[in-house]
Amino acid sequence: MTQSGLLVAALGTPVLTLLACLWRPVRERMLGLLVLAPLPALVVAVMALLGTGETAPMILDPGRLQIGLALDRPGTLLLGVAALLWSAAGAYASTYLRGKPNGGRFAVFWLLTLTGSLGVFVAADLLSFYLTFALVSLAAWGLVAHDGTVRARRAGVVYLLLAVLGEVFLLLAFVLLAVASPGDSLAIGAVVAALPGSPWCGLTLGLLIAGFGLKAGLVPLHVWLPIAHPAAPMPASAVLSGVIVKAGIIGLIRFLPWDAGLVDWGQALTAIGLCTAFYAVLIGITQANPKTVLAYSTASQMGLVAAVFGLGLAAGDGTAVTAGTFYAAHHLLAKGALFLAVGVVAATDARRLWPVLVPAGLLALGFGGLPLTGGFLAKLAVKPVLGYGLVGWLGTLSAIGSTLLMSHFLHRVAANPAPEPGAAAAPGLVWPWWVMCLAALGLPWVLAPLGGLGPWSHALGWATLWGGLWPVLIGGLLALGLRRWGAHLPKVPEGDLLVLLRNAGRVAAAVGDAIEHADGWLRRWPVAGVLLLVLALVLWGAMLASTR
Amino acid sequence: MDSLFTLTPPAAWGAPLLVTALMLPVAALMLAFVLGGRHAERVVLATLPIGLGVAVAIAAAVLHQGATLHYDLGGWAPPLGVSLHADGLSATLLLTTAVVLCAVGLYARADFRVPSGAREARAPLAFWTLLLAVWAGLNAVFLGQDLFNLYVALELLTFAAVPLVCLRGSPQTIAAALRYLLFALLGSVLYLLGGALFYGAYGTLDIALLSARLASGDPIAPAALAAAALMTAGLLAKTALFPLHLWLPPAHAGAPAAGSAVLSALVVKASFFLILRLWFDVMPDPLTHLAAQVLATLGAAAILFGGILALRQARLKMLIAYSTLAQIGYLFLVFPLVASPAAAPALDLVQAPGAWTGGVLQLVSHAFAKAAMFMAAGLIAGALGHDQVRGLGGLGRVLPMTVFAFALAGLSLMGLPPSGGFAAKWLLLSAAIETGQWWWTLVMLAGGLLTGGYLFRVLAPALSTRGPPLTLVKPVERSRELVVLGLALCSVVLGLVPLSSFGLVQIGRLGATGIGLP
Amino acid sequence: MSSVTLFGLCGAALVGLGLFGLIVQPGVLRKILAFNLLGSGVLLLFGVIARRGAAAGIGSDPVPQALIITALVVAFAATVLAVALLRRLVQETGRDSLDTDG
Repeated sequence: MTQSGLLVAALGTPVLTLLACLWRPVRERMLGLLVLAPLPALVVAVMALLGTGETAPMILDPGRLQIGLALDRPGTLLLGVAALLWSAAGAYASTYLRGKPNGGRFAVFWLLTLTGSLGVFVAADLLSFYLTFALVSLAAWGLVAHDGTVRARRAGVVYLLLAVLGEVFLLLAFVLLAVASPGDSLAIGAVVAALPGSPWCGLTLGLLIAGFGLKAGLVPLHVWLPIAHPAAPMPASAVLSGVIVKAGIIGLIRFLPWDAGLVDWGQALTAIGLCTAFYAVLIGITQANPKTVLAYSTASQMGLVAAVFGLGLAAGDGTAVTAGTFYAAHHLLAKGALFLAVGVVAATDARRLWPVLVPAGLLALGFGGLPLTGGFLAKLAVKPVLGYGLVGWLGTLSAIGSTLLMSHFLHRVAANPAPEPGAAAAPGLVWPWWVMCLAALGLPWVLAPLGGLGPWSHALGWATLWGGLWPVLIGGLLALGLRRWGAHLPKVPEGDLLVLLRNAGRVAAAVGDAIEHADGWLRRWPVAGVLLLVLALVLWGAMLASTR
Repeated sequence: MDSLFTLTPPAAWGAPLLVTALMLPVAALMLAFVLGGRHAERVVLATLPIGLGVAVAIAAAVLHQGATLHYDLGGWAPPLGVSLHADGLSATLLLTTAVVLCAVGLYARADFRVPSGAREARAPLAFWTLLLAVWAGLNAVFLGQDLFNLYVALELLTFAAVPLVCLRGSPQTIAAALRYLLFALLGSVLYLLGGALFYGAYGTLDIALLSARLASGDPIAPAALAAAALMTAGLLAKTALFPLHLWLPPAHAGAPAAGSAVLSALVVKASFFLILRLWFDVMPDPLTHLAAQVLATLGAAAILFGGILALRQARLKMLIAYSTLAQIGYLFLVFPLVASPAAAPALDLVQAPGAWTGGVLQLVSHAFAKAAMFMAAGLIAGALGHDQVRGLGGLGRVLPMTVFAFALAGLSLMGLPPSGGFAAKWLLLSAAIETGQWWWTLVMLAGGLLTGGYLFRVLAPALSTRGPPLTLVKPVERSRELVVLGLALCSVVLGLVPLSSFGLVQIGRLGATGIGLP
Repeated sequence: MSSVTLFGLCGAALVGLGLFGLIVQPGVLRKILAFNLLGSGVLLLFGVIARRGAAAGIGSDPVPQALIITALVVAFAATVLAVALLRRLVQETGRDSLDTDG
């Protein structure tokens, strides 16, 4: 099979599985097969990484619109790790949801989201990208609201509202991109190349950053993350935080004009990213639910990636993309693994927690840059981009913050073991967690050249190791302080800024009442009749005015 | 390809096809009326595929010829005679009508069946003959080329559509039908008055002749402008553009599901089609710029107003009816986009093909989607015994295919890819930006949000699984679900067809040559 | 005052009366009558145009007369349909106005 054929197979497999779900008996058994659906995508990514050249794109009409699929370096990397997490989380889900109702519906939404999520990494044109992005955004609602509790339904509404808002931003941005581009081509590369010369360049960039930033969880549009994650079933939270958030990251990678050197926009993106990184830590340490803490950590980590991208955008420097992608790939693996760990811990007796908590602790502190973990390499990769000035220091500060937040997470997760003595997690939950844990710890070392890192010996120098270690130590000390005095912190509700909108419902109801009232008046016969005549006069007047 | 069709002269194509399209439903109507009873259903079901074939043939002929089909009735040329005329837009709408009516016919069999042995009832005969009458009226509107003839066609359509509203015979539906009829009559009198003024000023009502005389260079008489304004206002009353929508929600929600589908998907589009004809085929271009802004402002108000009201309806059919009100608003955004001075410096439509195609695509995909939605709502109401939005919890478990079809149609309405609604919205948004009228993009996007909101109100409870399982008062036939699903798929698949094939709708526009779409 | 002007003014007056009645009168029967008045006014205008010969350039243009006859038939059909519906409404509910049901 040719490479482009493989590309089609990577997306086609989940689609075909989805079609098979139209048949009820298949749908009921689909949970057990979720582990297999992402595997072709994994194969494609591994082959592309092992191969030397770029994978041949699969373009439907090369002459005109150039609609099709293509695989570039960042896309390949993220596609591979995403497929791995989807597969492991799928296996986890088949055990986690066994015997619970509505497995079939869950599988359908899972496969829809999977299709979109893999699709955004390979879509090569505006329309395919919009389609797959909409799919991953909207179908994930079914995962968030799956439990059907009041909380899950509220989370679903908030999630969907923001997701649709993001779609609106992106639709307008894409139309602006297409209109500003001189040719017919809708290939992402072609339209983005025309962006710096577009008359609406600023507006387009603003909309793109808002739309993708919303998905990636940048402040102030991060509010869906801490609401949706705790409400979703465990494997769904893992992919939400691991993969779905990365749809925003790949969007930024694909649609920002890296060569243009847009200093203002780059600085703005860096500022937003750093604000997110610190704000999410501050709110996160006030949270009690370990899944909420992880959600805030995701926002914080994506903030750092956005800051890296912002620096690259300002400098016209493509290496920021490489570094940011590597950082995001590590986050994808480690965060997915940690969510799975929360589920494993919740099914394990308090006395048997250590075999889970120790590796989970390594992963968690990896976000702070603990030496020899995957996170250590990720921090090393972005270090040259952050530089050694103010932003570099802020980056180090965010590593301290991450350590603090993740220590808080470990504390919270250890406080929620299974209540029954002697309980042990089912093997179907444990082995996917171990796969992801080992992947998060080991894969970054294998993939290091893709992150722009030199040979391992460079990373293993004493000075480098110490540079990674001391922020973790400080973060650890702060964490001890948090445990001592943490009770004095104010309680911030999940989805912090949403509190500001709590009166929105009442206002909307009042507006709706007023409009309903107006409708009743307008639909009275004499009113409508007079309006008809007035309208005729207005149209006549408008035409008379045009003849002058 | 072309050589295949050069064998036959174009004139020979037009005559039989256009006359058949007009006469077929009329002949079938007579036949159904005479035979009566259960034969009416058979006549309709036998005629519909033939009509579909004719519509396909007309579309193919227009497409391959690349020009308008034309036929003078009885060989008398205008101004004395009356001519029939099918450009790309007519052909597209004829085809849409035929497809929707075929689906409605198949769907309605279960509702308007005369069981063997039973006495013939009034409602089935009325429904089947009215369906044919609506079809005849629509075809006459789409093919007409004379403003007075179009008046008669529009009246025939109204007289066929009004009784569809009150087939059930309950007092509410009769009141709704009367309201619809009287307001439509007010509109048609204004149209007729406009016709009188046009005739008085220019001595003809043939669209081509009138257009030529208007464009002849003399200053246009204020009476002609008044005529255009009166005609437009009258047609707006029949299209139910905000704020002239007093009759639409009760009429569309009160009719039986198959009737609502026809009314919402097709009947309101006929008067809209005439506005398009009047503005872009009759009136000289610069006169319409300011007035186009007026129309689009009302359209924008309709989008927001209809969307918000749809969010607040307790009954599913009322929700869909208000959604029609909002979707009609989108159609009127076409006017400033096509007639913009920035878009059409050369007084033709070649400069704004995107807006034109987008508008037509919106019209067609809304027709498919809305017909599917009303018919799905009919299945739901039939199966549950009510159509309260609050009582739809868990519907997805008992009627999965219906809910799926409803969701697909909603996808298109909301403008999500890959549906026809998405392609339409994409083209309209592009046109708004290209012509520098960015404010319409805000309305379109806000309308999309509202659409998403009211669909969510229906779909979220339908997909939930909490609460006691629903009990069906009546089983739903799989074949009817498939019809609804097919129609919903049509509206989605429209977006997958390469946009260049919509060159059809450009044929017959002044000087249209290339398509040049993204 | 020429006959054309006189009939033109009559037509305009009928149109005005008809519009007023159709819009303001609450009873459906009155609305139907007003519609007929309105229709007659418009047709009278058509007749005036025919008499004047207007843009067609011939006196006593026959085309509008043909149009008038057709429009009369249409208006008659509309009246019949409206009256039939009104009869049913009165039979069912005993009232003959539209504005109470919203």
